[in-house]
Amino acid sequence: MKFIKPENIDSLLENLEDNKGRTYFLAGGTDLNVQIKNGIIRNPNIIYINHLSELNGINAANGSIIIGATTSFHEILESKIIRLHLPFFQKSLESFASPLLQNSATIGGNIANGSPTADVVPLLLILDAEIELSSKTRNRSIYLKDFFNGYKQNVMESNEIITKIIINKSAEKNFITFYEKVGSRKALAISKVSLAGMKRVSGYKITMIKLSVGSINEYPRRLFKVEDYLTDKTASEIDFTKVEELLDKEITPITDLRSDKEYRYHVCVNLIRTFINQ
Amino acid sequence: MKSIRKIDAIPKLNGSWKFLDDYSYEEMIHGQLLYSTCHHGFIKKIAFPDGYNLSEFTMVSAKDIPGENIVPEPECDQPFMAEKEVFHFGQVIMGIAHPDRKLLREFISNTKIEYEELSAIIDIKECLENQKNAFGRELTIDHRTGKKPDPNWIHHHKIYYTPHQEQAYLEPQGMIAVWQPEDKIMFVRATCQCPFFVKEGVETIMSDTIKEAVIETSEGIGGAFGGKEDFPSLLAGITSLLSYKSGKPVKIVLEREDDIQITTKRHPARIEINSWTDPETKKIMKIDIDYRLDAGAYQTLSPVVLARGVLHAISGYCIPDAFIRGRLFRSNTPSNGAFRGFGAPQAFAAMEAHIDDIAANLKVNPYEFRKINIFKSGDEFPTTQPILEDHLSDCLECVIEKSNYLNKLKEFKEWNKTHKDKKGIGISIGYHGGGYTGNGEKVLNSEVKVVIKKDATVMIFVANTDMGQGAHTTLAQMFFEAIDHPREKCLVQLPNTSKTPNSGPTVASRTIYIIGNLLRKFAFKIKDELGFENLEDYVASNQNEFPREFRMNFVQDPSVVFDDENYVGVAYKDYSWAACVTEIYYHADTYQIELTKNWSVMDIGKVVNQKIATGQAEGGVLQGLAYGLCEFFYKPGYGRMHGFTDYALPTTMDIPEINIEFIHTDTPIAKGLGEIPMDFPAPSVRNAFHNATGVFIDEIPLIPERILGSIKNLELGI
Ligand SMILES: Cc1cc2nc3c(=O)[nH]c(=O)nc-3n(C[C@H](O)[C@H](O)[C@H](O)COP(=O)(O)OP(=O)(O)OC[C@H]3O[C@@H](n4cnc5c(N)ncnc54)[C@H](O)[C@@H]3O)c2cc1C
Repeated sequence: MKFIKPENIDSLLENLEDNKGRTYFLAGGTDLNVQIKNGIIRNPNIIYINHLSELNGINAANGSIIIGATTSFHEILESKIIRLHLPFFQKSLESFASPLLQNSATIGGNIANGSPTADVVPLLLILDAEIELSSKTRNRSIYLKDFFNGYKQNVMESNEIITKIIINKSAEKNFITFYEKVGSRKALAISKVSLAGMKRVSGYKITMIKLSVGSINEYPRRLFKVEDYLTDKTASEIDFTKVEELLDKEITPITDLRSDKEYRYHVCVNLIRTFINQ
Repeated sequence: MKSIRKIDAIPKLNGSWKFLDDYSYEEMIHGQLLYSTCHHGFIKKIAFPDGYNLSEFTMVSAKDIPGENIVPEPECDQPFMAEKEVFHFGQVIMGIAHPDRKLLREFISNTKIEYEELSAIIDIKECLENQKNAFGRELTIDHRTGKKPDPNWIHHHKIYYTPHQEQAYLEPQGMIAVWQPEDKIMFVRATCQCPFFVKEGVETIMSDTIKEAVIETSEGIGGAFGGKEDFPSLLAGITSLLSYKSGKPVKIVLEREDDIQITTKRHPARIEINSWTDPETKKIMKIDIDYRLDAGAYQTLSPVVLARGVLHAISGYCIPDAFIRGRLFRSNTPSNGAFRGFGAPQAFAAMEAHIDDIAANLKVNPYEFRKINIFKSGDEFPTTQPILEDHLSDCLECVIEKSNYLNKLKEFKEWNKTHKDKKGIGISIGYHGGGYTGNGEKVLNSEVKVVIKKDATVMIFVANTDMGQGAHTTLAQMFFEAIDHPREKCLVQLPNTSKTPNSGPTVASRTIYIIGNLLRKFAFKIKDELGFENLEDYVASNQNEFPREFRMNFVQDPSVVFDDENYVGVAYKDYSWAACVTEIYYHADTYQIELTKNWSVMDIGKVVNQKIATGQAEGGVLQGLAYGLCEFFYKPGYGRMHGFTDYALPTTMDIPEINIEFIHTDTPIAKGLGEIPMDFPAPSVRNAFHNATGVFIDEIPLIPERILGSIKNLELGI
């Protein structure tokens, strides 16, 4: 095991250049430490990043809210800026783990760890969040929806790190919002299903809708096909068998120790229905 | 009734109270168990990983055992370590020790065992459905009249299933053995409920190689709930053997994942009930209960759990014609063992569900139906033990009133008509016989010792452990309150088998009931004997008499006469009684039950320490509700849970408002409190769900996946 604590972001990025083999960033450690202890990760190269001020904090600039990658969920939950601009996002995160975990777990770690159950991802997806990936030679921003490309797979290069999460200041403005995380208990639960939704309604018509689900695919996803179908329809025009048909194409729930395929599927359908009728 | 503070409260808060893993000895090395990952098979080969210096390790297996390879238990059928054949996943094959705990863990996780696999039963239903799997002694309580059921009576037949339950103590199992060759003493520091069981375990495995095993508990025992009743004997045996072989102190602390997977759990049960009810009088006239427990691979203490199970199987009803049959079933899973309630929670889960089933069928409300059938003084248990008080029905009446049950029934019915989500309310009752079953307390013949020192300090020596339940605070309180002695001058000593007489194990709701009441009597006896008004004054003026030691034994009440062969007679001298009402909110979208309120009314006799008693009752009720609602340990096809991420214990956020009341407290006798709060609440959740939705589910827990399966095709209205 190799352990590095870089002085600053530049030396961190420098380090990543001559990086051989997989490197893990130690932020809050709430995923990494568990994986090391369970032997899922053996003899890792570890770079500690939680002390780097460049990666931490919440700021508003140029119409965006910028959240540093090592910002903890506790900081997000306490942030006045977030409360002002993204109250739905903030409120929804209250169900993340427990206060103890919220103090350590970081937003960047939640995204990068890439679990299908990562709770912040469905929320960021409907907010059309971008993430900034940095290396020594370039910074690039991509939409979070384009970040994952398989189970625990993403487009990040071996010399890159997530530095920021960028959300439009008015991402929640004039939307009716919905979030439900379904776990085996109210706290310290890994989601069995989660649904995040935002919609705009004019008259009785849905003029815009964004839906994303967690724990139901190899990574959390937007339900673009369902969104397309629902857009520009009134509640009475919506045929739910059609929604279920489309959903079948967009979700791949599984049965595991924690829950069942049928359960995940039905809850997903019910939650969408409730949100549409809300 | 005084709520004096627990003696361990402050040291636990400031971190100074020592739990097992806080102890260390010079040259101490670390041990770990190498256990079977095969459910049934012959061990072909054990291959250790390369790259380790094997001479640094101490290893013990069955062939190193100088004494007997059998863990002392009510039924002695389980070896400390497997010989050639393993009979369940988690069966210990070797104990291995090394100075470096982390390296040892790596070594063991890379050790490969080859087996010749044999057929195995790991599924609970597969085990319990097939009568060929029954083993051990069958118990029957035969209170039949021999008459045929009247053709007008309504027959109900149902099968109920209850799952494993994990004790989930905070501190995992752990043991330290320190071999002292000079005086041939095996000193063992244990986190356990029963130091004398551990002593017997170590002396059995070590035999004549040691003169004596001395067991002292750790200062703090971080929870047990029955889980530290028998497993510590096995663990202590192997740890001692490692210490003997290495010549060094050895500590074994189980990793949580190992602890959850290989130690004892609550027995899963299948309980089949046939009942016949007179539709005119609404009285249950005849019942037949087939009570089956999945014991795991060995019987160990399961016969005793079975005994308590059948003795509580009929719940609190007077049924003139009753037959109860209890059997253990064998599977290839770790032996199930003691857990708060000890067979009774399974019994009530079935019978209290059945009562609601019949009531629904007869269209009587569940309270009315209970009221008609509940037993009263003058009635008898199926063992013919007379019922001497109406306290169970008093608990029921009290809780119905407190919870406003009858109005809520109406209110919820209205509310449910216009809502997709549903509200529900359910009842259940229960009781628990205090102390060992039948003649058990007579056989135990518990002894306690008190030493009064020159400064009038009273040192109480009992073998009963304080595992966080407040036993040592309450036991001392029972002594000093009796003679009005200052509390700081009366302390229970840390149990140590060389200093403490055998006052029996810390199990069976017997600590306060048997040992506490004995200490109270003892205080009066010493007072009489010495003839003092004030102990401090007496000691001050009679200094030459002190320090002085006193001893006293428990004498069982002569009314307790139990025929162990035929299960006839008085099984328990005193019963604690209880009834509860639980309110739920059912979320239709997610098929989840949210517990909103629980009222529990209990008669535990005298309440020695209100705060401790209430805390224990709240914890137990929550454990019971969670048993009915969310805790499940085994999933067919996916196996056992690995840790608290998957095993869904409720968090503080999931706890409903729990309202505890003790009634009939104006009595000198403190009855059993340990288990009763866990016994009865589970079926109230199931009954409340039926009240909310009209759907009965006959298998607990009521996890949402199971609910979905039961109501998928059912329109709930709205
Ligand atoms: C008891 C418990 C409860 C939990 N409950 C929840 C829950 O309710 N919801 C939920 O979603 N998760 C939960 N988790 C998982 C975990 O807490 C979260 O995923 C958390 O956000 C991870 O962040 P971290 O900072 O601890 O990541 P770390 O463990 O430090 O890192 C995790 C991974 O992310 C990578 N990484 C970290 N930072 C960066 C970065 N800036 N750029 C690139 N890669 C990076 C690391 O290389 C590593 O692979 C729980 C975990 C535990 C132990």
